[in-house]
Amino acid sequence: MSAGVLVVMETKDVRERRAEGGAAWHRVSLEALAAGQMLAAELGVACSAGVLGASAAIAPLAAELSARRLETVWAVGDDLLAVYTADGWTIALEQLIAQVEPKFVVFPHTYQVRDYAPALATRLGEVLIGDVAAVQMAGEPREPLFVRQWMQGKLNAVYRHRKPGGVCLLSVQAGSFRADAAKAGQSQVLEFAPKLAAEKIRTAPSEPIREAARTVDLSVAEVIVGVGRGIGEQENLKLVENLAQALGAELAASRPICDAGWLPLERQVGSSGQTVAPKLYLAVGISGAIQHLVGMKGAKTVIAINKDAEAPIFEVADIGVVGDLFEVVPALTRAIRG
Amino acid sequence: MTAAGMLVGIVGLRLNLRLAEPASLGLGARVLLAALMLGSAGLFAWRGAPIARAIWGSKKDTDLRLRPLGRRGWRFFWEVLCQAKVIRQRRLPGLAHALVYWGFLAFALVTINDLAEGFGCDLLARAGAFGAFYVAFAGAWALLVAFAIAGLFARRFLARPKWLGEVSLESGVIALLIFALMATYLAMLVVPQRSPAAACLWWAHTLVLLAFLPIIPGTKHLHLLLSPLTVFLKRPEFSQLSKLEGDEEFGLVTGKDLTRIIALQAYSCVECGRCTEHCPAAATGKVLNPKEVVLGVKAYLNSYGPGSDAPLLQDEPEGRQKALSMPAAFACTTCGSCEYQCPVGVQHLPVLIGLRRGAVNTGAWEDRYGTKLFLSLERQGNSLGMGAAERDKFIAKQRFPLFDGSQEYCLWLGCMGSYDPKGREIVADFARVMQALGTSFGVLKKESCAGDPARRLGNDLLFGELAEQGLKSFAQAGVKKIVTVCPHCLRTIASDWREYGVAPEIEHHSEFMARHAALLERLMVGEQGGSVVYHDPCYLGRYREVYEPPRAVVAMAGELVEAERHRERSFCCGAGGGLAFLGEEAGDRVSHGRTRELMETGAKTIGTACPFCNSMFRDALGEVGGAAPPQLLDIAQLVARRLPAQALDSGELKG
Amino acid sequence: MKIVVAVKQVPEREAVLRVTPDGRSIDESDVAWTMNEPDAYALEEALQLKQRAAEAGLGEAEVVVLSAGPERVQSTLREALAKGADRALHVVTPESGEGSLAERGSLDVARLLAEAVKGEQPELVLTGLQSDDLGAGQTGVVMAELLGLPHATLVLQVEFAGQGGVGRRIKVRRELEDGWTQFVEVPLPALLTIQSGGNRLRYATLMGIKRARQKEMRELSAATPTQRVDEVVKVSPPLRLKQTEMLTGAAEEIAAKLVERLRFEVKVL
Repeated sequence: MSAGVLVVMETKDVRERRAEGGAAWHRVSLEALAAGQMLAAELGVACSAGVLGASAAIAPLAAELSARRLETVWAVGDDLLAVYTADGWTIALEQLIAQVEPKFVVFPHTYQVRDYAPALATRLGEVLIGDVAAVQMAGEPREPLFVRQWMQGKLNAVYRHRKPGGVCLLSVQAGSFRADAAKAGQSQVLEFAPKLAAEKIRTAPSEPIREAARTVDLSVAEVIVGVGRGIGEQENLKLVENLAQALGAELAASRPICDAGWLPLERQVGSSGQTVAPKLYLAVGISGAIQHLVGMKGAKTVIAINKDAEAPIFEVADIGVVGDLFEVVPALTRAIRG
Repeated sequence: MTAAGMLVGIVGLRLNLRLAEPASLGLGARVLLAALMLGSAGLFAWRGAPIARAIWGSKKDTDLRLRPLGRRGWRFFWEVLCQAKVIRQRRLPGLAHALVYWGFLAFALVTINDLAEGFGCDLLARAGAFGAFYVAFAGAWALLVAFAIAGLFARRFLARPKWLGEVSLESGVIALLIFALMATYLAMLVVPQRSPAAACLWWAHTLVLLAFLPIIPGTKHLHLLLSPLTVFLKRPEFSQLSKLEGDEEFGLVTGKDLTRIIALQAYSCVECGRCTEHCPAAATGKVLNPKEVVLGVKAYLNSYGPGSDAPLLQDEPEGRQKALSMPAAFACTTCGSCEYQCPVGVQHLPVLIGLRRGAVNTGAWEDRYGTKLFLSLERQGNSLGMGAAERDKFIAKQRFPLFDGSQEYCLWLGCMGSYDPKGREIVADFARVMQALGTSFGVLKKESCAGDPARRLGNDLLFGELAEQGLKSFAQAGVKKIVTVCPHCLRTIASDWREYGVAPEIEHHSEFMARHAALLERLMVGEQGGSVVYHDPCYLGRYREVYEPPRAVVAMAGELVEAERHRERSFCCGAGGGLAFLGEEAGDRVSHGRTRELMETGAKTIGTACPFCNSMFRDALGEVGGAAPPQLLDIAQLVARRLPAQALDSGELKG
Repeated sequence: MKIVVAVKQVPEREAVLRVTPDGRSIDESDVAWTMNEPDAYALEEALQLKQRAAEAGLGEAEVVVLSAGPERVQSTLREALAKGADRALHVVTPESGEGSLAERGSLDVARLLAEAVKGEQPELVLTGLQSDDLGAGQTGVVMAELLGLPHATLVLQVEFAGQGGVGRRIKVRRELEDGWTQFVEVPLPALLTIQSGGNRLRYATLMGIKRARQKEMRELSAATPTQRVDEVVKVSPPLRLKQTEMLTGAAEEIAAKLVERLRFEVKVL
């Protein structure tokens, strides 16, 4: 077999897929696929992909993959892989890697990969280079360098795999590669039957659950739209609610809004409310009093829309828009909805 | 005969008052009298002994220093003998109380003589000029006391101010006894000598007296005996906290942690309710009632005795101990109004903060916001949990020079001045004032919280770390003089840090500006800015007794207006005691009440001298300010606005 | 029951960091250190488990806190003792140069910790989800593999199932993506990485610090480093510093620019 790139694909929650009546990839898998293809192209080697699960369940997924520009699609099927376990995945992939002998194994950096890939790497005497935000080609002969973030993005660190004859495992950060850049093509599907024994799988997972009526927990929200006094009147909240909906965001507010009873107290962010740390905090009509800032300063990115160019919120914002929120917010909602 | 003696004689003759003497007592009567006196004294001792034990058996106050005696002596004279505090806080009832008190002092001699007389001994020599004068003198007092006590009786039982709490029968009995003492004395002035009536009155007077004595212990009238001592022995400083020694002291956890001074003060409480009347927490319906907290300590000592292992804060306390609760202790803004008002020298803050220390230092206090604050202070070193880089950015933007030892002042920013947008504006404006005056200053490269919220919330571990860190950074930078816009930092650095070392001299920016008033006035241009109502911050006023300098500063910039409650009686903004960080208050907000009060003056501007007050009022004005709220400015901003542009450095204006 | 909690000492989140002259690691000379926050959550979970075990009549649990690093990590271990851990293990590594944490890869550091855990034979090993500094998020899982223990990651909640003793199982709730969670049964001994934010952290207290002075802190020597598999070539601040970028134009233009950024920079669309 070739010494190329192997991409390990991840599927979405099985029940959801059933509901959709078809195969569903975890979005980041497709980004990993694009990354793997790009890496293989840079190195001039072949790219393959693997998908794990119960044989019947993965057959349509493997078929779908065969329409990509890949050398081989490995359908790794076994009844013991019907549900994800770290042990099952580690054992099966260890065997697949022994079979395929890739130089690089690319994973999507998902919760699931974080659960088993470090163990797999250890078993191979390797280290997972995780959460890679970019791949750079350098040196002579050209070799890939992997950019990771340190100190929550305050520093970039460039990693290189240096074990001679080893296999380099890396997982790519969500959103770092474009899924639509994955190339279409033709490839063969090969079945791979791993040797698994039930007693080697030590953990017993139960069905995933999702609590139906979750109370608002802003502290775990990934995206938050915060609204402040600048909204003017309660009726105008609808604008911001629409934006939050379009973004898949939780709605939050500064104190005056909750004080006025326009939004429930549990949505208040700040010193007398919740402390949040989303990937994105979009502040609409919030001037940025300290009581509010202390609640949302943990946000990775802050975008602020405010009509007052001197508002302190711009001090902490990464992107600022000085303008009329009654124009910008609806325009943004429309643009997101496409 | 001296002139004074003549005068006394004339008065005595003029009034021609003679105290009717009873016919001298027979042996049986004398034996009876002696037995009654012994009984009264015995009963007094029997009732008083557990109290004495509770006080004396409590922990010794290791930090009690009697010196300087002069200050203690003056306070004793002013607060006890002159009854100044009693009168000042509540004019009419206070005066009535003072009359009763002075009357009691005047009667001391009469009372001794009265008892001696029973045994046929006229110590006062009533026939003599002095005796005659004294009889008349005491008579005049008797009249005044009788009137005063009747007035107080009417107030308590008819007018019933709510601060006195439930109507107590005990007070009524005591009032009647006092009235009876005065009435019998006055009657003795008019009945014939050695008449049966005189004998009856004498016995009545004496019996009332002997009944009075044993009632005193175990009631609030114990303050008659204890409060002079309590006032004399008061801790000299406002909100003075004792150092925690050894491995087993964490604050007020059990009865073992109660000191003699705390016990003495608890037993001295006269239940007048002045502390609760002026308490911002009590006034806005919070669970804290400072008077009941003091009485809770007393109830605890009564139930468990001194040195008990029983926790002070119990899960299901009974009776008066109910007031001793964690929510109550943590509802205190530490404004110190209670301590300031108390006429008998009770110091509430060491108890309230002591309870907090006990709860926090042992980890018993679990509060979402409190934990967040402590973790921010542990991890980021500032109360707002902001990154130090934010302060660096602000300093760079303002082009504040770093303190390098060459400048006169170190300008201490504090958490609000470093991170709060409005606090930054205040600091920036004050820096402009300093620049205009040509005063050299620098800021520390790195600054941690001075530790005020940790101190007031009773986190000694955190406070100690912050104080030590602060002392170290001042020492390393070679700072000699500090100036700050924050009264909380001021108090903490100047007083609380002393547990860990000596901080450089520190002053508030109001004091600095007032000292440079003459020069500032010469620099000022333009019109005065209209009326300004000045709000006394608790930590500048009551804590540091700085009242005049900020007023002088305000007067430079505008017309000074006073709110109804001002200076020593100023009402809290609600932020102190770490409460600014503990989330939303339940019920009414302290800040709203105070803001309305300030607005009622009709002043165009509210002048503050504390970034926390400023922040509280800013929020409150948004709620209760109405359509045209007054503007809200720090006194430094008032001054900066009247300085000419060219006198200012080219530094950025905005924070 | 014995629980080992592995904690890491990391630069404070807000610390201003400089890169060493060779451009390959963080200059540690002027850094303020603190306990890695995710590990603080793991410690909190261990302390709560100890309390719950006692309440459930499962006997007295012992919480042993473990860290590798130079002398400075003892302050973090002491903090853990002050918050309620019973004992501390310190695997001593040099401050810098060969054998230091910066020189050892994540596999080698996990090896150091795993060696120390072996000596304790605990029923549970807990650690944080990832470190705030390098963010590799692997140490826990690698340790489990090295120790031959089953593991569960992103654990929100731990329940004791059945009776006590080694060989019993525990049930944990772990977080999946998009608001889903899942119960997993894991036999003991096991290793769990704890999701941050599930518990409320406690603050350090004076009483805790005073009690901590009497607790044991044992120093263990570190094994000689093994050859690294990966290598850090260069460390540098990202090109874009946090500086507010102001967008201008008509509402539609601004909206288009924002969407572009949301998709490819912020990565939330």
